[in-house]
Amino acid sequence: MNENEHNFEELKKLLKLKQHEVPPPGYFNNFSGQVVSRIRAGEAGGAQTYVERLQSEAPWVINLLRIFETRPGLIGGFATSLCLLLVLVVVFADRSDVASKNLLTVSDPSATMGSSVASMPVPSLVAASDSSGIVASTNPVTSLQPVATLFGQPASGSLFQPAGFAPASQ
Amino acid sequence: MIMSEPVPIVDASMPAGMLEGDLVRRARKGDLDAYDELVKRYQQRIYATIYHMTSNHEDANDLAQDAFIKAYSALKSFKGGSTFYTWLYRIAVNKTINFLKQRKNKHHYSLNDLDFNTENNPDLVALISEKTPVREAGLTELQKKLNEALMKLSEPHRMVVVLHDVQGQSHEEIAEIMDCNIGTVRSRLFYARQQLQSYLSEYAKPA
Repeated sequence: MNENEHNFEELKKLLKLKQHEVPPPGYFNNFSGQVVSRIRAGEAGGAQTYVERLQSEAPWVINLLRIFETRPGLIGGFATSLCLLLVLVVVFADRSDVASKNLLTVSDPSATMGSSVASMPVPSLVAASDSSGIVASTNPVTSLQPVATLFGQPASGSLFQPAGFAPASQ
Repeated sequence: MIMSEPVPIVDASMPAGMLEGDLVRRARKGDLDAYDELVKRYQQRIYATIYHMTSNHEDANDLAQDAFIKAYSALKSFKGGSTFYTWLYRIAVNKTINFLKQRKNKHHYSLNDLDFNTENNPDLVALISEKTPVREAGLTELQKKLNEALMKLSEPHRMVVVLHDVQGQSHEEIAEIMDCNIGTVRSRLFYARQQLQSYLSEYAKPA
């Protein structure tokens, strides 16, 4: 390295010339004043511009834009991948919608319970209820709503009546 | 009776007599007088670095002011992990390199005049004396050639040469400013000098 340093002696002397390049006389007298007045003007004017704020808060956006500036081909690639992502999101959203509907149809408690209850014999106690109309029951109360089917048509013969329990007459 | 040397009286309450850390603390709280003092302390070095990188006085003026304004607005994020001077330098260096990248290879020279002491520098006089093969070249011509050669270097290589060979910064300081290791600084410096030597072969021949 010393040998190399020695070899660059002439160059280093030449580079000393740069130290003699000076700005116009009195240039630095006003420099700090200009900086401070620009800061004051910025503060009075409502602080930073949008770009400056973006640069301080999300510098990665600015970096991304700079990369796009230098490589325009990347913009196309980025836009294509964004579109693909959007399409995928839409497709998957549709699918998950259908799947959840199917799941709802299958797991609808009223539907399953209704069908099982419908196949059960109606307790004779209902028939035996007295005319007072006071009915007590420990069976789950089901509505008279028709069971929902796949195409929204009410299934015939699947209407339910509340099962009642009448206290046994003395 | 022995007269002691006069001791300069430093008023610590005045910005000019304050330590850098105190000035930074006050500037962070919005004290523009303190920041004005910080600008005065570093304006020449910051300006010179940018000027040597751009070879353009107007660009250097704008970039130096922008660097100081950016530093002021970012003072709250200054953690004190390095000196304010190094941190400020880093802002100026990044701003300059970004500017040069945007400008690409379009160089507009606006060179400052050489000061009166140039002709008293024996090394430089020797370069343009009758003993040299380029005796007809004046200092101004030499200045132009030197700037053109520097502008042929890539920004990181030019920056290392400017900071080390022109500004006199140490390898360690440059590594901190440029956020790289010392080995990188040394290798960049060596390569940049080699390049410069080949561009300026008629002036600077290896010993």
